[in-house]
Parts: sequence; structure tokens; C-alpha cells
Amino acid sequence: MSSILTKKLTVAYEENLVVDELDLALPHGKITAIIGPNGCGKSTVLKAVGRILQPRNGTVYLDGKDICSLSTQEVARKMAILPQSPQAPAGLTVGELVAYGRFPYQRGFGKLKPDDKKIITWALAMTKLTDAEFKDVATLSGGQRQRVWIAMALAQQTDLILLDEPTTYLDLAYQLDVLELLYNLNRKQGSTIVMVLHDLNLAARFADYMVAVCGGHIIRHGTPEEVMTAEVLRETFHIEAKIVPEPRTGRPTCISYDLI
Amino acid sequence: MQDCLAAKIEYGRSHRLQPVVSAKGGTPPKLNQTDKPNQAASAGKKGRGAAWLIIAAGPGLLALLMAFSITRGAASIPLSAVWDALVYFDAANTSHLIIVDLRLPRVIASALVGAAFAVAGAIMQGTTRNPMADSGLMGLNAGAGFALSICLAFFPELGYSKIIIFSFFGAALGAALVGGIASLRRGGATPMRLVLAGVAVSALLSALSQGIALCFNVARDILFWTVGGVAGSNWEQIRIMTPWILGALLGAIVISRSVSLLSLGEDVAKGLGLNTVIVNLLCFLLVLILAGASFAVVGAVGFVGLMIPHLARYLVGVDYRRIIPVSAILGAFLLVLADLGARSLNPPFETPLGALVALAGVPFFLYLARKYRRVL
Amino acid sequence: MTGRHQANEAQKRKVALRNLAIVTSCVALLILLFIVSMNTGYIKLSPLDTLRILFGGGDDRENLILFDFRLPRIVLAILIGAGLAMSGCIIQGISQNALADPGLLGINAGAGLTVILYVLFCGANSFLSIFTLPFLALAGAGAAACIIYVLASQKGQAAAPLSLILTGVAVQAGISALTTVLAVKLDDSQFEFVAAWQAGSIWGSNWQFVLALLPWLLLLIPYVLMKARVLDILNLGDDIACSLGVAVRREQRGLLAAAVALAAACVAVSGGISFVGLVAPHLARRLAGPRHSILLPVCALAGAVLVSAADTLARASVQPTGIPTGIMVAIIGAPYFLYLLAKSK
Repeated sequence: MSSILTKKLTVAYEENLVVDELDLALPHGKITAIIGPNGCGKSTVLKAVGRILQPRNGTVYLDGKDICSLSTQEVARKMAILPQSPQAPAGLTVGELVAYGRFPYQRGFGKLKPDDKKIITWALAMTKLTDAEFKDVATLSGGQRQRVWIAMALAQQTDLILLDEPTTYLDLAYQLDVLELLYNLNRKQGSTIVMVLHDLNLAARFADYMVAVCGGHIIRHGTPEEVMTAEVLRETFHIEAKIVPEPRTGRPTCISYDLI
Repeated sequence: MQDCLAAKIEYGRSHRLQPVVSAKGGTPPKLNQTDKPNQAASAGKKGRGAAWLIIAAGPGLLALLMAFSITRGAASIPLSAVWDALVYFDAANTSHLIIVDLRLPRVIASALVGAAFAVAGAIMQGTTRNPMADSGLMGLNAGAGFALSICLAFFPELGYSKIIIFSFFGAALGAALVGGIASLRRGGATPMRLVLAGVAVSALLSALSQGIALCFNVARDILFWTVGGVAGSNWEQIRIMTPWILGALLGAIVISRSVSLLSLGEDVAKGLGLNTVIVNLLCFLLVLILAGASFAVVGAVGFVGLMIPHLARYLVGVDYRRIIPVSAILGAFLLVLADLGARSLNPPFETPLGALVALAGVPFFLYLARKYRRVL
Repeated sequence: MTGRHQANEAQKRKVALRNLAIVTSCVALLILLFIVSMNTGYIKLSPLDTLRILFGGGDDRENLILFDFRLPRIVLAILIGAGLAMSGCIIQGISQNALADPGLLGINAGAGLTVILYVLFCGANSFLSIFTLPFLALAGAGAAACIIYVLASQKGQAAAPLSLILTGVAVQAGISALTTVLAVKLDDSQFEFVAAWQAGSIWGSNWQFVLALLPWLLLLIPYVLMKARVLDILNLGDDIACSLGVAVRREQRGLLAAAVALAAACVAVSGGISFVGLVAPHLARRLAGPRHSILLPVCALAGAVLVSAADTLARASVQPTGIPTGIMVAIIGAPYFLYLLAKSK
């Protein structure tokens, strides 16, 4: 039951202030989608929350503790982060890559214990990659490769999984594939999922909670019905959007938009 | 039309070379951010003014600097004597002899070579869109050195005019290897791959040159070129290299408009109607001639072509019609100053010219690496 | 379930056998090179003679040639090759760039500067002075590496791989220029030493140099092998490594220090040899895959083979002196590197 809280989070790259005094409370046990235009700081927020970037100012609290006070290994047991476009070296098999997910729990030379192997097998089963265990990662399709990285995050056995644009650069079918996998993880395992998404409609369809970010500030956060409104999208993306409830799921969908 | 072109260049430039925070490939430029047409035009006007100032005042100042440089050295000679030597030359006067036989050739050589390296660098940076292109970093110097070692080992009696041709071929070999290797893969010749290929090709060709030099006992002769300097310049060399360099400089000025278009990107240039194949070929030839001829005179001096175009761009804007002539003048200034330094720092010994230029060049390269880290 | 378990075991056996085959071939190759090397050079010792002398059947002159000249030289070539190859492998792992090499990144040049200064002004005659060479090399290489690391880093983040490479190239150019400036002030014999050093001739070819180098390798190689898994994970990317709980900056610094120390110690006795750290890891990766627990040892062997072969060729090429080994390594290594560059993403 991990929870994330940020207070006055400020992140800057050299002189550019990207995130300015952000206060964010991410609900645990839910799927949260962070949306916003390019360069608005959403990836930066995710990285700062995942302690990959050091904030200029402000604090990130993981389970009520300052994340800086925890050792990086402790954090790795509670939180897994999947960055954008990860690269695997050539010649690595699926099983080997997923096995790396056990690193935060290993000691010494890193021999895999029977428990480790069970978890890896489970992770492969969850992501339907059991048959691909000995295949070279580079030979897989984009969607399958993304599933391998998610399997590695699963092997890390964390309550919290952060993903930075997991569906960008994937074909339509694979995008749904990955999002449904994450949805199942949340509903069956109770994992908290936080992801930065580029596609508004997919975000509204799968997320329980949405955060709209623009210029390093939160424009609106809440349920998809609260965030996917014409006013919020106008302020965030500078577009005039037409929002209707999607016929099958009832979630708000942007069916068309115009320039302001 | 002129303002339109300038505006296009400003816009294209600002969205490629500025360090971008969210470096994602294929992101369209932000609409609310930079250059509106009148901003670009006013920047263009400022650049034009600065360019004319430099082109008009440059040669005069350069001549003064060269004259001053002639007065310095192991034997100090007053400025009046320089004027006397040029106008009322007296063969019996030793000062006049020093001026005309030793110092004048080397000062003229430095100016020519400085201009040549700078313009070669400017053309390379424009056509490859690599802010770190330079005759040293792209393997031209090493290639020319390799050709020269072969020349000295197998054809030791060759005259200077033939040596210079060898130098062209060597520079061509170096550049072809670097450019070819770097662009063989999907994604083409990114600056990173060009730098790495340049380093490897340079190391290979230097090793080969040294190997040949050791095998055929010409190591001492090769040393002069490895170290770099204008110390041995004579009128014979100047007579042979000047037509090549001046011709190539002229050619560079003529082709500068096409280089401007190429600097926007190969596809954009094609879309604007430029025959990129021919222009690239011509640019390649010009760079060869400039770098090859310069190497044959001065040896391994790098970083001039790296620094000067950036300085020129800072002063006069991104249009290569201005950058190329201004680079020529600034390059000449740099090398005449460097030669002056090489002679004056540790008299009567000469500090290697290449090392002296590297003193400024390396920090600048580091600065560039830092600045462009996110874009490269 | 048992079916998969069996497949798992079969796979592991296959991999283990393959690794064994690679290691055995490398060792066999080294022995072959040793025999060929004995048979090369101004005085040739045939394989039968070599065996005879090794087992005590040689006269004084043959013993001198084998035990005091040739044997230390080839042992040095093997050690240097192994050390430089591992150093390159580590740097490639940290910078996630398969085109990194300590010679191209100014580390060798930094070591060279201090070694050259020392030998020129203090000479390298006594065992003590030879013993201190790797320390001095480490000082120079360490300074260069610190400059590179500091300049390539950004506040609050680990150094970006691209930055490390570019900064390395710049520092290399700078130190070379500095060395040239110093070199011109020297007299002929001193200058020849500097030139030979920069070309990578294995100038110190006796047992004293072997003893000076050995402790460094014995200390550093086990440390690096222990960090094999960390290297695996760093190779996945800084962000993922951070996610998996690796203290990225601390491990980067530790591993970089080890790589620099390895390169410096080797370069102290051999001169500036580039491309080993580049080519050997690539060869090793093609043979043994990307996992550092097997990659590092195979890499060391590949480096040893490369430098020994280059050294033998170099000695065979021009009589009686031969050309510096570094040149031969560059001649073999650079084209392979260019081929790799052409094929890489």
C-alpha cells in the first residue's frame, strides 16, 4: 500500500524551470494518467517522483517518508519505473532481462534462488511471454518488447509502477494490449499504476484518476469526467475540444477538436 | 526575397541548434515560442551590418597586424624598416632580407592558411549540419599526413607543386572514410558518429603514417608536419599554394548561397530546388583543396575550422553568404596571431602552432560538447 | 512444468558448453601465439627448441633470450591486452556506448603525460622507479578522467553517455597538444622516447615491469568481476538502473575509477595503445553475449590475444627493431572499428 505525495516539487534543467512548486497526491490502488502537451514537464514530474531526477526544491514522500531519506534499494522494492524507449543490449534473452528485475532483492553474486525463479515465471505468465523466454529481445515486435519491460517491472514485485509513455511509438493493437495488461494488473494485483500518456482518449478510457499538466503546473486533477472537459483541454492544450461519453464504456472521449 | 530567405534560415536554425529540453524526435516546433518574421529580419539586418563592417575593415586591420607581426621575433625590427623593405628593397640590408625572405612569407602563409581552414570548416559545418566539423576532427589532416608520409617515403625528390596534389588526395581519402563510414547506417551521419569516425580514422591514418615513417626512415622529415608551423615557409610554396587557396576561397563565396540552403537540411534544400548532389560534390572539392593545400604548408593545425565559423555565426548571423567571407577574415586573423604567439612565447624556440591553437580550441570544443549535449 | 524445466536446464547446459569452448579456444590461441612469437624476431627459436629451453635444456645464451627477453615480453603483452580490454569493456558498459575506448578518451594520454615527464626527468632505471610508474600513470589518467567526468556531468544527474565520449575526445586532443609542446623542447634521444611511447612500443620488456603491473591487475580484476551484475544493469540505461535500485552515480564513479586504473597501469609500461579497449569487448560480445559475468573474462582473453598477435606481427615486420606494437594494434583495430561503426545503429 504505497502512496506518493509531493510538496512544492520544483525541477529544473540548468536554467530552465520545468516543474514549479507542484503539489501532487497520487491515489494508491488506482490507475493514474498524467496528460499534457510536449515540454510541459509530465515526464519530468514522473522522473522526479521516481527519484531519477534530483529536484531543485520540494520533497517527494513515499509512504509518508522523504524519498531522499530512503536508500535507493529500499525505494526499488516499493517502486518500479519504466522510462521512455528503453534499450536492451543485443543478445539478451527475455528470461535474462526479466531476471534483472530481481536485482533489488539479490545479494553477492546474484544467484537466482527458487523464490526468484518462481516470481520470474509468474511475471512471464502475467505478460503472456512464457513461450518467448529464450528468445532474443531484439527479435520481438514493439508490443512484445514493451511487455518484456513490464514483466521486468513485475518481477521487481513493487506496489507502485510508474511508466513514462508506455504506448507511444506502438501500433494501435499493441497500445491496447499494453494498457489492458496494466489494467488487469491493477484490478487483480492491486498495483498502483501511474503513467504518462500521450493519447487523451486512451487515458480517459483506462485511468481512474487523471492529472492535466501544463507549463509545470497542474491545471486540473480528478476523475476522467472532471479532467476531460472542454475548459481543461482548452487551458492545457489550447484546443477547442468536443467531449462526448464513449458509447461502450461511458468514459469521456474527445471526438474532435479545433484550434482556438 | 532576401529577407524571406534570411527569415527561413533564422527559423530553421533556431529550431535545430538550440538546446531543447524535451528532446523527442519528430516533435513539431512550438508555435508560441521563437522567431516571428520581423524578429528574424531585424536580426538579419544586424548581421548584415556587422558583416559589411568586418569585410570592409578586416583586410586593413589584417595588414596592420601582419606588419606588426613582422616586427617581432628573434631580432626585433622597427615598423619603419618593414615599410622600407617593401617599397625600397635593399638586398644588402640584413633587416630587409629577414623581412622579405623569412618573415613576410610566413605571415602571408599564416593568413592564407587561416582563411582556408576557417572557410573549410564553415563549409563542412554547413553541409553536414554538424556544429563540430573541422578539418582536424573529420580526418582531413590525418589523411593529408598519410599521403605526405607516402610521398616522402617513396618519392622523396618530388617538387612542392606535386606534394600539394598528394595532400589533396590524402585529405580526400580521410574525408571520404569518415563521411562514408558515418553515414552508412540508417539515420545517416549524425554529429556523434562523425566525431567518432573522425577520431578513429585519424588514429588509423596517423598510425599508418608513423609506421611508414619508421619503416622508411623519414620520421624526422614527417615531424615538421606532425607538429605544425609556418617556420619553413618560402616564396616558392606561397607561389604554388596561393592560386589554389584564393581560387577555392572565391569558389566558396560563390557557392555560399547554396550552402545556406543545405544547412537547413538535405530534404528541405531539395524541396527548394537545389541540386544537392552537385552542390555537395563541389563543396567536398572546395574543402579538399582548402584543407589539403593548407596542410601541405602548415601541417597538423586543427580547431581553426571549428572555432571561427561559430564566432562568425555569432557576429553576423546564420546566412553562409556572410559567414564564409567573414570566416576567411577572422581565420586569417587567428592564425597570424597564433604564429606571432608561437614565435614570441619562448624565443628563440618556436612553440608548435597546432598546440597553441589547440589551447583555445580544446576548451571551445568542450564548451560545444556541453552546449549541444541534448541535441546531439 | 517439468518439460519447461528440462528445456531450461538444456539451455543452460548449452550456454555453459559454449562458454567453455570459447575460453578454451582463446587459451589455445594464446599458447599458439607464444610459440609463434618465440619463432619471430631477430633470433628465431623453433618450437622444439622452445620446449627444450623451457624445461631447462638450453645454454646460457638461449636462456637469456627466452627467459629474460621474450617470455617477459609476451607475458606483458598478455597482461596489457587483458587490462586494456577490460577497461574498455567497463567504459562501454557505463557509457552505454559501444564505441568507447580509454585510448580515444584521453585517459591514456593523461597517463602518458605524467609517465613521460617522470621518465625524462628521473629516468626509469631502478626497480623502485619502475614500480612507481603505474602510480604516476594513475595520477595523470585519474586527473584526465576527473576532468572528463566533471565537465560531462550536469548538476543533479549522472553523466550522460554522449557527453562522456565527446568530452573525452576533446580532452584527448588537449593533452596531445600539451605533450607535443613539451616534446619539442627535448633533445633527440628524449624525443625518441616520447615518440616511441606515444606510438605504443612495449618499451619496458623485462620481469621488473611485469612485477610492477601484476599487483594492479590482481587487485582490480576481481573487483570488476564482482561488479559484473551492476554493469549488466547500468547497460540497460541510467533510468532503469536507478529504478532497479542501483546507486547509479556511486557505481559509475567506482567502475570508472577501476577502468581508469587498469588502463593507466597498462599504459605505464606499454605506451599509448588505443583500440584494444574498443575492439576486444566487441569481439567478446559477439562470442559470449552481453552478460558481463562471462563477457569480462572473454574480453580479457580477447584483448590478450589481440595485443600478443599485434606484438608478434610488429616484431616480425621490420628487422631488426620492428615497429611499435601500438601502431600494429591501430592498423588491425581501426578498420574493424570503422566496420563496427558502419554497422551500428
